[in-house]
Amino acid sequence: MAAPCRKIINQFVKRSLKCFEPRVIPCRWSNTVRNHTVEKHRHSPLSSTRELVNQQDSPSDVMVPREFRFVHPDFLPYPVWNRRDRVREKLEREDMLKRRAVIDIPEFYVGSIMAVTLADKNAPGKQNRFVGICIDRAGHGLYHYFVLRNAIDGQGVEIKYDMYNPLLLKIEVLKLEKRLDPQLYYLRDAPLEYSTFRLDMEPVSVLKGAQVPLNAIKVKMNPRPWCRRWERHNLKGVLPLDDYITEKMKKQKQHPQIEKPWEKHDLMLKARTSIDDREVDQIMTEVYKRKEKIQKEKFQKRGQEGKREVKKAQEVKK
Amino acid sequence: MAAFCIRSMLLRNLTCQNLISADPTLTSRVLVCHQQVRGRRRTCKPPSWFSKRRVSIKQDITPENAKFIKDVIIETYKKPESPLKDGPWSRGTWTPRTQRTGVLAIKLGMLPQWTKDGKKFITTLLQVLDNHVINYTPPDEFAKSMGWKPYWGSKYGSVVVGALSCEPHLFSKSYNNLFAKAGVPPKRKLTRFLVTPDAAIQPGTPLNVMHFRIGDYVDCSAKTIGHGFQGVMKRWGMKGGPATHGCTKAHRRMGSMGGGRDKAGVWKGKRMPGHMGMDWRIVKGLKIWRIDTKYNVLYVTGYSVPGPTHGYVRVYDTVLKHKREHLIENGNPPPMPTFYPEDGKEPIPEEYLDDELFNFNNESISYATEK
Amino acid sequence: MLGKLFPIPKMNKIAQAGVLVFRGPNACVSAFPIQSFSTSPCLNQIIKLSRMKVVDNSMLGRKAELASKPARVIHIYNKKGVGYLGDKVLVAIMGEKKRAYIVGLRQNQKENVPRFDSNNIVLVEDNGTPTGTRIRVPIPSCLRNREGDFTKILSIATKFV
Repeated sequence: MAAPCRKIINQFVKRSLKCFEPRVIPCRWSNTVRNHTVEKHRHSPLSSTRELVNQQDSPSDVMVPREFRFVHPDFLPYPVWNRRDRVREKLEREDMLKRRAVIDIPEFYVGSIMAVTLADKNAPGKQNRFVGICIDRAGHGLYHYFVLRNAIDGQGVEIKYDMYNPLLLKIEVLKLEKRLDPQLYYLRDAPLEYSTFRLDMEPVSVLKGAQVPLNAIKVKMNPRPWCRRWERHNLKGVLPLDDYITEKMKKQKQHPQIEKPWEKHDLMLKARTSIDDREVDQIMTEVYKRKEKIQKEKFQKRGQEGKREVKKAQEVKK
Repeated sequence: MAAFCIRSMLLRNLTCQNLISADPTLTSRVLVCHQQVRGRRRTCKPPSWFSKRRVSIKQDITPENAKFIKDVIIETYKKPESPLKDGPWSRGTWTPRTQRTGVLAIKLGMLPQWTKDGKKFITTLLQVLDNHVINYTPPDEFAKSMGWKPYWGSKYGSVVVGALSCEPHLFSKSYNNLFAKAGVPPKRKLTRFLVTPDAAIQPGTPLNVMHFRIGDYVDCSAKTIGHGFQGVMKRWGMKGGPATHGCTKAHRRMGSMGGGRDKAGVWKGKRMPGHMGMDWRIVKGLKIWRIDTKYNVLYVTGYSVPGPTHGYVRVYDTVLKHKREHLIENGNPPPMPTFYPEDGKEPIPEEYLDDELFNFNNESISYATEK
Repeated sequence: MLGKLFPIPKMNKIAQAGVLVFRGPNACVSAFPIQSFSTSPCLNQIIKLSRMKVVDNSMLGRKAELASKPARVIHIYNKKGVGYLGDKVLVAIMGEKKRAYIVGLRQNQKENVPRFDSNNIVLVEDNGTPTGTRIRVPIPSCLRNREGDFTKILSIATKFV
């Protein structure tokens, strides 16, 4: 009686064991679709919401100037691979281009002197203007921001602006310049004359097509204490700091864990924190084409308006 | 002994039947577990009733044959056997108690947006990719199925929704049979929504972003990011022990576990080390700010939608009463049971924006004219 | 003696005069020699005993600055215990208790809100009128919509940023 039963049970056990075959389910990513799989499904002929490849987006023979990517660093997406998505980046870029069609965002760099006009409910003229030197610009896509610094009445003031904030009415570049460092936060610990600019400063005109001038000024810092350990930052735009720091600090600075000499050879770090050159080219081509199109439309509009005005003037004359 | 043997055999038989059965009502319960259960909540082992979905592809096919198979698959699903052969189902009318089906979206990440007052806020982007209704089970039938919970009563039927179409030769026969009724290619992911019978949908109906409207509120449920087995400091944010002062082997441990007297012993639910993340979480009452119909993308308030980028998210009408009020007051019910493109008289615009949201095409916000 | 212990080769003008400028978040004038440790509290928050710079032209503020005895916060009139822009505080200055409003902060601010190089206050009397008659530094424009006693401070301000 028991023997056949056992046989059947064994069969079932075997069968049920089959579905418990050891499978590797990556725990952290099993609730996720891989990036390439999502892309496959977006273009799959089986998909009902199939995304057609746009002819305009495909790379063509348009030559994008090499400087274009340095003029528009805000168009580069966030480089962490597992947070990237093509469609999101595309929608983001579209929003940015729309905004750029409305407001003129000029070329500027860290070290340029700028003026920003901001809509302000409480101000008497309903707008507020601030002039200062750009000490930092960062953020990817719509998150892009820049920081202006000025000393007004002997008081250092810094304001951070979101570049795509709709409250910005006007962005002007009063003096187009570059500095030796990617960030100028050390001006906080330098004498105020290095960051003092007149609020009624007049714009300095730059020849079109000329190279952006580099201001190789070396700032003399105040004695310590500082807001950061500047001796560890390898600043280029600062006079030697050896007089201000102790022997112990000099030694500490050369410690390998602080100096991190291996970082410049770390290819993986570079891959993690930057975007592939080919992809940058693709993005910049797309942006370049769109910008040209927008400019053409603007010129056409202006031309039409000009014609209308001419017509009006003629009618008035008649 | 014999009786026990036979009984266990019968039980095994039952499970085995489920295993082989192609009944979608039984297999669809693979997907969602809303209830939090004590003990092991996550496991790498599939449950006993889970039929193997994936089949290994034979490698000895020539490229020409592989291409031929692909073409045949595309041809078959291009003109599928009409799912409307038994006529379109009658559509119910929306009442405050109606619970419609949801969609299975994919999280794309976050973007900042601005209101018309110039206030910045974060939105999460959810893409609705290739969603179809796979099956509908009416309440009385659903109450007999395995996944039914007694506290649901006989109010709810179930709708199975699938996302991301795949080629059928990648899957097993029993899995492919689930999609026979709907006449759509097999889906990579399935999920189930509880619906009231007036929101019943015919299998084979496509779902897209237009299922929701601007200004409506939705709930999002998804699996959070998995962190594996974690200690008490990372999992619960406890303080750990001191770094020095004679501290031995207690730098990252929790302190005491229980007190004395009537509070003695370790209480149930004590926060301890264990598996962190990879758990179902629901975020309720998120407003839809913006809809992109070209890419099928929803812009939803906040950055708290659970899960990583490209994670699956179940999006459905909110259950919060105070966020459903505007539907009743304005007499503006959502499309029932879903949006049908043939109903709309006007062509669908590429983008819908909330009234309070700043449109990037507009001029900058200026207060100068307000005087 | 102290100069030998902490040798500083180049000093700025005030340092040569025998008084040194503290360049922490609570910038003020101190009679102590330069210190090698940082005096900046974490997050630059305004808490009790934070040192503030009086930016109006009141005699009391000027006296405190010359005597290098900065105003110290001894109470913050909100529930958090941390002072933010526009908050009212109680300060100890030259042995007196005075009320004051915070009009500039060193900590990082939101976008479009200015961040200053020092923590600034404006002294007010108990009835709410400002002690001084003029504010020497610019004031954040976002404070302009404040009501009540703050309007009196706005009326003596010279510049807004």
